[in-house]
Order: sequence, then C-alpha cells, then structure tokens
Amino acid sequence: MSVSSYVTAGSVDDVLAALAGGARPVAGGTDLVVGARSGKSSLPESLVAIHRVAELRGVRVSADGLRLGALASHEAICENEEIQARYSALADACTIVGSHATRAQGTIGGNLMNASPAMETGGPLICLGATVTLRSAAGERTIGLADLFTGPGKTVAEPGELLISVDVPAPAAGTGSAYLRLEYRRQMEIAVVGASALVTVDGGKVTDARIAMTALAPTIRHVPEAEAALIGSDGGPAAIEAAGEAVAAASSPISDVRGSAGYRRAMAAVIAGRAIEQALARARA
Amino acid sequence: MTAVEEPRAAAFVRPDGKEKVTGAGRYTADLNLTGQLVAKFRYADHTHARILRIDTARARALPGVLAVVTHEDVPDVLYGGMVKDRRLFAKEKVRFEGDIVAGVAATTAEIAECAAALIEVDYEPLPAITDFEASMGEGSALVHDDWESYEADDALLRDGNRLGYSTIVKGDAAAAMASADVVVKSRFVTDPVQGVPIEPRAVIAQWQGDKVTVWTSTQVPYAARGGIAHTLQIPESNVRVIVPLLGGGFGAKCDFHFEGHVAALARAARRPVKLVFSRREEFFAVGHRREGMVIELETGARADGTLLARRGRLVLDKGAYCGEGGFFAQMAAMHALGPYKIETADIESSLNYSTNQPSSSIRAPTAPQVCWALEQHMDELAEALGMDPIDLRRHTLIEEGTVTATGQKLERIAMKETLEKAVELIGYGQELPEDEAIGVAVGWWPCFAASSGAYVKLNGDGSGTIITGAQENGTGAVMAMPKFVAEELGMQPEDFSILYQDTDAAPSDMGSCGSQTTFNSGRAVIAAAVDLREQLLDAASDKLEAARDDLELVGGAVRVKGSPEKTVTIADLAGSGTFHGKGSGEPPEGPPAEPAEGCVGRLGLESFHAPQLIAHAARVRVDRATGVVRVLQVAAAHDCGRILNRLGADGQVYGGVVMGIGQALSEGTQLDAEGRHRNAHLTDYKLVTASDAPQIDVAWIETDTPGAGPKGSKGVGEPPCVPTAGAIANAIAKVIGSRVRSLPMTPERVWDASP
Amino acid sequence: MKVATTLTVNEIAYPVELDPGTNLLAAVRDVIGLTGSKEGCDDSECGACMMLLDGKPVNSCSYLALQAEGSEITTVEGLATGEKLAPLQAAFLSEGGVQCGFCTPGMLISATALLDQNPSPSEDEVRIALSGNLCRCTGYDGIIKAVLSVANAV
Repeated sequence: MSVSSYVTAGSVDDVLAALAGGARPVAGGTDLVVGARSGKSSLPESLVAIHRVAELRGVRVSADGLRLGALASHEAICENEEIQARYSALADACTIVGSHATRAQGTIGGNLMNASPAMETGGPLICLGATVTLRSAAGERTIGLADLFTGPGKTVAEPGELLISVDVPAPAAGTGSAYLRLEYRRQMEIAVVGASALVTVDGGKVTDARIAMTALAPTIRHVPEAEAALIGSDGGPAAIEAAGEAVAAASSPISDVRGSAGYRRAMAAVIAGRAIEQALARARA
Repeated sequence: MTAVEEPRAAAFVRPDGKEKVTGAGRYTADLNLTGQLVAKFRYADHTHARILRIDTARARALPGVLAVVTHEDVPDVLYGGMVKDRRLFAKEKVRFEGDIVAGVAATTAEIAECAAALIEVDYEPLPAITDFEASMGEGSALVHDDWESYEADDALLRDGNRLGYSTIVKGDAAAAMASADVVVKSRFVTDPVQGVPIEPRAVIAQWQGDKVTVWTSTQVPYAARGGIAHTLQIPESNVRVIVPLLGGGFGAKCDFHFEGHVAALARAARRPVKLVFSRREEFFAVGHRREGMVIELETGARADGTLLARRGRLVLDKGAYCGEGGFFAQMAAMHALGPYKIETADIESSLNYSTNQPSSSIRAPTAPQVCWALEQHMDELAEALGMDPIDLRRHTLIEEGTVTATGQKLERIAMKETLEKAVELIGYGQELPEDEAIGVAVGWWPCFAASSGAYVKLNGDGSGTIITGAQENGTGAVMAMPKFVAEELGMQPEDFSILYQDTDAAPSDMGSCGSQTTFNSGRAVIAAAVDLREQLLDAASDKLEAARDDLELVGGAVRVKGSPEKTVTIADLAGSGTFHGKGSGEPPEGPPAEPAEGCVGRLGLESFHAPQLIAHAARVRVDRATGVVRVLQVAAAHDCGRILNRLGADGQVYGGVVMGIGQALSEGTQLDAEGRHRNAHLTDYKLVTASDAPQIDVAWIETDTPGAGPKGSKGVGEPPCVPTAGAIANAIAKVIGSRVRSLPMTPERVWDASP
Repeated sequence: MKVATTLTVNEIAYPVELDPGTNLLAAVRDVIGLTGSKEGCDDSECGACMMLLDGKPVNSCSYLALQAEGSEITTVEGLATGEKLAPLQAAFLSEGGVQCGFCTPGMLISATALLDQNPSPSEDEVRIALSGNLCRCTGYDGIIKAVLSVANAV
C-alpha cells in the first residue's frame, strides 16, 4: 500500500534510471494523488518526482512550431499569447481545465499520459498534429499523439519511458482552431462531450480540416468522416451540420451518472458543430 | 410596512470572525487528544439483508486494534425521533447502504480500515425496497418486520412501510372540482438531495470514569447528549457534549448521529477515539438527506382564477429509519396547499420506509420540492386560464384575514408585498432575448416555538458573559446575542463574551434547526438580561439611595433620571456582589387552527406559527440545443418580520438562493437498482460554484406579525431555499415551451423535455 | 519508510520526517500542526485545503509533501502580519464573506493568489478564480464583494 521508495530527480537521466528500476513519475500530482485519495488506485510503491527537472520545463514558440516541455503547466500554456492566437484550441482547453489550482500545478505531460478519454488537451493537440517524444534508458522515439492512446488510462508508452516533450507544427496560414466542451457548470467540469476543430480556409473554401472528439469513445480520436464533410466545402451551415452529424455517428458514448449515451450522441453533433463554427470564425478573422 | 434599505456599512461583524479568517479557529477535526485512536466503520455489504453471523475475531487479532464494537457490546435499545426504529449497530438486519454493522478503534486509520474489512459478516440478502411509492402497496416486503412493536408517536398513523400519514380535508373537493371552469393536473418526481456542509462530520469521545465528554460537529448538542445517554443507558448528567466551531450544517448535522458509536468505541478501547468522515461517507453514510418525492396535484379554478379545489397526493421517501423527520408527511401536505386561498382541499401525504438512505431535515424540509411542483402547477393553471401567472398569484395569495384550508385565520403578513417586490426587482415584463425568461415562485415556512434558557453573568470588572444553549452553525445568529443583552443593560455588545455549545454549561436548547435560534434562544437571552437588570437596579437603588423607578441604565452605568451626577458604574456594582440573570421567556402560543374532522396525522403543523413569506423571481438563459440552463439573476423578497442584522440576514438569502439553484439544476443523488449511491463525490454531485452563482437582489418586507420572536423577528435561515427552484422551473418552461417534471432539472432532462 | 526533509511554511523552516505518500495537507496539519487549512473532500473538488506553493495555488491534499521541499508554502496562518489582518481578511469580515468559516482559509488563499497575479480583476475573473473553492453558506456574494473591494482599493 505505502510508498517505499521516493527520489527527487535532478535530470532526465535521473528520471530514466529510476523508471528503469520500476518507479512511476509524479509531477503536479493532480491525477496520481487524487486517484489514490479517492480510492481509484493506490499510490505506486516507488516514485520519482520530476518537478525539478529543468530540461522538462518550458513553452517555446518559434516560426516552425510549438514545443511544450512535459512540465509545462496548463496555466503557462493558456496564458501564452502566441498559443492563444495560433494554437487557439489548445489555449481553449488549458483555460478550462479544473480550477486555477489545477491549472497552476497540472502539467501537459501528466494530462496526456493519464490518457483519460475526457481530458481537455488531447483533442486540440491531435487536431494540431502534435507529436510526443518518449525517452527511456534504451533510447528515444517520437510518435503522433493520436497513436499514443490505446484505451482509457492506457498508452503505448513502455514502463521505462518518459514523455519528454510535445511538438506541434506551426499551422498553415488561414488556419483557426477551437475546443469546446459541454459544460453543466462553467468551471470544475469534466467533459461530458468535447470537440476540437481545426480548419484552414483559402478564399471561400475549406482546404483542410481536423476534427476530434472527446469523451465519446474509449480514446480521444479524430473523425475522418467529419473532416471529409468540411474539406472542399464553403464552411457553411450545411457542411457544419454534416460534420457534426458525422461526429455523432462515429461516437460510441457510454451511459453514466453524467449523461446517457443517447444524450451524449446528440450533444456530439451540437458541440462539434459549435467548435467548427468557432474555428472557422477564427480562421477567417 | 416598509422595505429596509439599511446601508451595508451599518452591518455588524461577527465576534468569531477573526479566528475564522486567521485559521486560528478550531473545528472538531482540528482537535487531538493524547492517546487518541482512530475510528472506522464496517458498513452494510447489502442495502437490505438479514444478518446471519458477525465474527470479529480476525479484526480483533490485528495488531493496533484496541476495540471492535457490534450490537452485542452496547445496550439492546432502539433510538429515533418520533419512531424508535434504529440501533447503533445493526442486529437482525441491515436496511440501507450506510447501516453500521461494527466499529473499530485502532492506532492508525490504515489499521482501522484493514480491521473493518476483516470483520466477517454472513448475510441472507433480501430484495432492495427502493421504490418508495410501491413500498406502501399491499403485499410489499417490510423494511421493518417489527414495526408494530416500536415505540412511536400515535399521531403518525403508521402502517407497515408507511411511517407517517397525514391529510388535509376541507369541504367537498370532488364537487368543487367538478364545478370548476378549468382543471389542471400534474405529476412531479424529485431526486434525493444532500446537505453537503463543507466540513465533513467529526466526533471525538473521551471517558473519565463514568463520564464521557464528546466533541462533535453537531447542530443539536442536546439531542446528541440525549442520544448518547439513551443508547448507552447512562444518565445525561454523565454526558457532556461540546461543539467546537461548526463548519456548516444545513440540517444535515441535526439529530443524534455518530456520537453514540464513538463513545461506545472509546469506552471499549479505554482511550479517546476520533472519527472523521471522508466526503464519500458524508454522502452515503449519513442518515440525513433531503427526501425524494412523488407529487401529484390537481387544481380546479373559476375562470377568474379563484381556486375552488386542490387535490394532492404526495409520497415521500423516508428511507430506512425515522431519525427526526417523522413530521414530514404533514409538513409536505401544508406545502401542497402553499400560501394560497383555496376553497376546498383533499390532500393526502405518505411518508414511506424504503431501503434507501434515511431522509431527515435539510434546510426547510419538504418545502423546496413541493414548492417547485406546486409553483409549476400554478403556472400551468395560469396558462390554462389564459392569465398572467403573476396576476393569478395576486388574485389567490393569502393575506391578513385569510382563513387557510386548515382553519388558521391569518394575522398580519406580507405575502403579496413580497411578490410585488420580487417582480419589481427582477423587472418582470421587460423585453428579453428569445433564450431568456423570468419565472416567479412563492412559498411559506413557519416559526417553531420551543423552550430555551440562558444565563447572563457579570464579571468583577463589569464585563459580562452570556451562557446560552444556542448552537452556532455559521449563520451568525448566536453572534447577535451580545447586542440583545447590551441593549437591555445600557452596555456595549463588546462588553460581552459568549459561552455556548457546551451542554454542561447552559440550559437545554433545540439547537440550530428550524430557524429558531433568534426566535427562542434570543428570547431566553433577553429574559436573562432583564433578570440581571432588575438585580442591578436593586443594588443601585441601595447604593444611590434612590427609588428604583427613578433609575435608568445608560452608558455602562445606573443613574438617577434627570440627575446624571447621581451615578454608579456597572463595573463598581459588579465588584460589590455576584450578579447573574437567568431566563427562558415564555414560548409564544401557536395560532389556533380548526381543521376539519377528516384531517388526520396532525402533529401541530396544521397552523403555521408567525409564517415567513417568500417570493423569488429568476431570470434564466436556456441553451435549447443542449438543455444547459444558466441562472442570470434572482430577486428574493422575504417577510421574515423585523430584520435585526442585515448583513447576517442577507447572507442567509444569498446562501439559500444558491443552494436553491443547485437543487434546481445540478444537485441530485443518483441511486442504482440496489439503492446505492452512484455519485457520492463532489465531481458528480455538483454544487454551484462562484462562477455559476448569479446576481442576487435581496429585499425585506418588515411586518409586525403577532406571535413573532424577539423585537418582531421571525426566522431567516430556511425560507431562502424554498421557492428558488420553482422560479427557475417556471422560467425554463417559458423558454422551452414545456415542463421539466423531474428535479433536478439537469441539462439532459431539460433537453428531453424540449419539444 | 520515512524521509527526512524540511518544509518552509509561512517563512518558518520545519524539519520533518514523512512517509513519501504523505500529502502536503496532512504534513502541514498533522505533522507541523497548522490546522487552518481544512480537509473537505477526497477528490480535489472543494478547495478547503488550498495553499500557495511559491505563490501559486495548490490543492494541498493532492500534492505530495516531499515535493514541496525547497518551496515556499503559504497557508491561511501566514496571511496576517502579527495581529494585523491582511486587507482580504478584514474585507471578508466586513462584507459578510464568512459564515461557518470552513471554506474561508482556502478562499482567502485563492483570492490572495488571484490578486497577486491580477491586482484589478473584473467580477467575472474573481468568480472564475474562486470556482475551485466551494462555499455552502454565503452564496459567494460576500466573498466576491470582499475581493473586489480590496482590488478596487489597491
């Protein structure tokens, strides 16, 4: 039950050595410690605290794209003006995660590796074409974020692997993005339904689109049928509605205390449609 | 009759404030005693089952375990409010998810938890009885096989799973209904709701010889003392209950709860024992939630809106045990009448056992749900009549001189004035966006007269101490006592300290329930101050050689009227003798009522003592595509008599309205088929946050209602959460064009109801 | 297993030995003995345990105490200067922001974090910033007024 080993890592190498020995990483604690307290899963026997590792920090925006260190907090991301302007869906997501304390302490690495199908940041980053870099004592690999998730709470990461950074290519000119969730309250929500949209417009036409759905399937994933409904269209109401319907059709929601599957499916179309509208408005602005 | 417009600057700052903002104040969970053990409970493994065997051997053998207690270790007695139907530790049967089979005291929480899990309990599972409407039907299995043997109040009219039954009958409702121009009929269902004080409950018990001291987070220390004494079969004089700062209650901490279990564990372990609930336990294990209900209403009216007949059928989920909620059937029936003039009535109300969590008083018990249903029903009637809902209420609300359906002749009250004020504050009739609307609801709530007692003593330096049995739950009602005393004695409120929340110090008191602290405890404190004043006048009369009638108490001194040089300070008098006043005051008589012979299940609620009247108006925005509702503004107008502390009274309304919004939109306990909680945590039992709380405009209509409490006050704490959900429901219905008939009105339910 | 460390709370360094699984709230309340911060839930929903960690708000119940080594921790007990209440503390009292008081320590910490970061917030910004702190008594009205009154006075 109790934690028998705890080290504070000073470098990535320290972390990888600890992971190789079976430790689990802890950064902001917002998922790991809460999970243990609420009885969902006990704390791991061996922990490596990674919050002091300087190499894992930082939010860097360049002409080529965005690099987020695993320790980048939701607060640091959503307060970054360049992210707000060019990677809007990600800023939207980080702005509404938990409370101001969750946003200050919770990290992008922790959020992604927790692999909740209801997480806010996953959909936007998938739409933005993010890749994640995983490193272990044996080496490093970079994979598309969409390929990271395999199921609720499950990723392709091996036990010895640490998420080092998230890289996002710069969106093309004429691109706008947005993330929206169905909110019963304005704050302190867990997405019942969430949708991310990224669209590129050129003249009157939608030339590219990425649509992802959140809390509607065992993992967050993009919806090619919705994207097809938009690409080549004028981005008008009919295309938006068709894309929203495609999201609903692709969803496989569950019924639970937060809502029935039928309600979730209906809301998938509504929320996806609104996310697309907002992304289009931003693309055209 | 005037609306009070007192500036906030005149407000009074609570004496317990500094310790609360600095973190110095101690709540029960903040206390620790030398040698203290940790208590954990073994809860029922089924919601309904016969217990075949309990074996505690393995738990007792675990190192660090100092006591394991079951029904075998405590006296074989039943306890409860109007029905004694419960044991501290389950014996023959478990009857809900939170029934306690055993308690463990151990050196650490981990060991106690482990030991609780090691207790072996064999059961014969029985079918859960979750449908409280069906549970009173012929042939339904019984929650309490021995119900007939229980000690109980005969007026409850118990029968099998029906713990309480009450009717209100006036005239020939069937004939009047048949003669009506318009008849509307509605059915509503409500989910159970939780009190959710932010402080989870905590209890510490320590024995010294035959006497036990219990520190506990209760709203009712004297009831807690009585419960401990009864369940452990010891005299009340051997039980001292102390309440440190209390982190909110809202009714959930009324009643005797876990003090007996912890005292039994401490006695068995010969150590102090501390229990602190987790938030999950605070949801499922407390025998104290707002009850689910089925509410069927039928009203017949003349074309001009006159209410000719009201029929009602109410079914309330009592859950597994009576607790102190035995009076709910009659209270709900009174709210099915509502504050309206009705010519005939035929209302029946049943309070039924089930194997769900027990229901008991939560802030204005039964009223918010019935009011939510009735006020929607009244709007439906207005629509059927082609009348504006405000005009219908103007025509039908009670006023001075009204004789209610239970035969109470109402004296001076300001029901209609609260309606007009709420309508004015919200700007009823204004142009609104198509997704917004304003809804209005009204309600009522009685004062509860009860005995209380207090002492006021002077210290040698002329300062004073007030000793009251009143319990402070956060409202600040007790904090007003120094003001009352100072006014009687010509002194300053700052001259007085308050000793409260210690059953060994003060006379018995009902506790912080029923909005009664100012009404009853305030009256006692004033009587004690008057007693003390008489003693001071006697002493000053000797000292100043002046006639008693010529003396007055002003500015901390007794002086001869018209001769300010002939003065003796209270400090001088105090040094010369022992002065202590005591008082209880006479509880005012309740107003008479003459209910028809057919009215049964009468528990004294057929007349409402000094009724408090409430009108709320809510402006909401509905997202039709999702069903998400945002409350943008609430106007709340109350007749609670004279307002003695505007800051405190306003605070009750702000908090009550926001609680009402939660009840309206997001707060509901969801149970599975076995009656277990599915959302016993704050992630999915959603309280209103600061970002969802709206602008709230508060107005007080001050009236002098006969039979009111000290200085013309009534009560303030409970009414603010009564009509909010009804007002919101009526606003939602205007936007979506149909009715949401389940409470809470979650986004999915609003979306489902939308045409 | 106990780990020796030093936690700095309200500018005082406390040498402590902690099980690594101990959360910051338990360390501060049970080991260091400052009980102002409260425990109101088990899933980071109520905010009663809120502290500042190097000036940023943290739900201390969900943060491992050992991770706070080397950081400045501020609790409600650290807000006043001697007997003199901080402006937010005084405003909570005068505006009716305190009833039962159980949420008050966390509320004050959240409000302190907000005003440090944004000295003149709008009412909506205050409401958003305090949404991680549940209050059941006040309807938030007195609390919001208190924070705005201090913000406007700055």
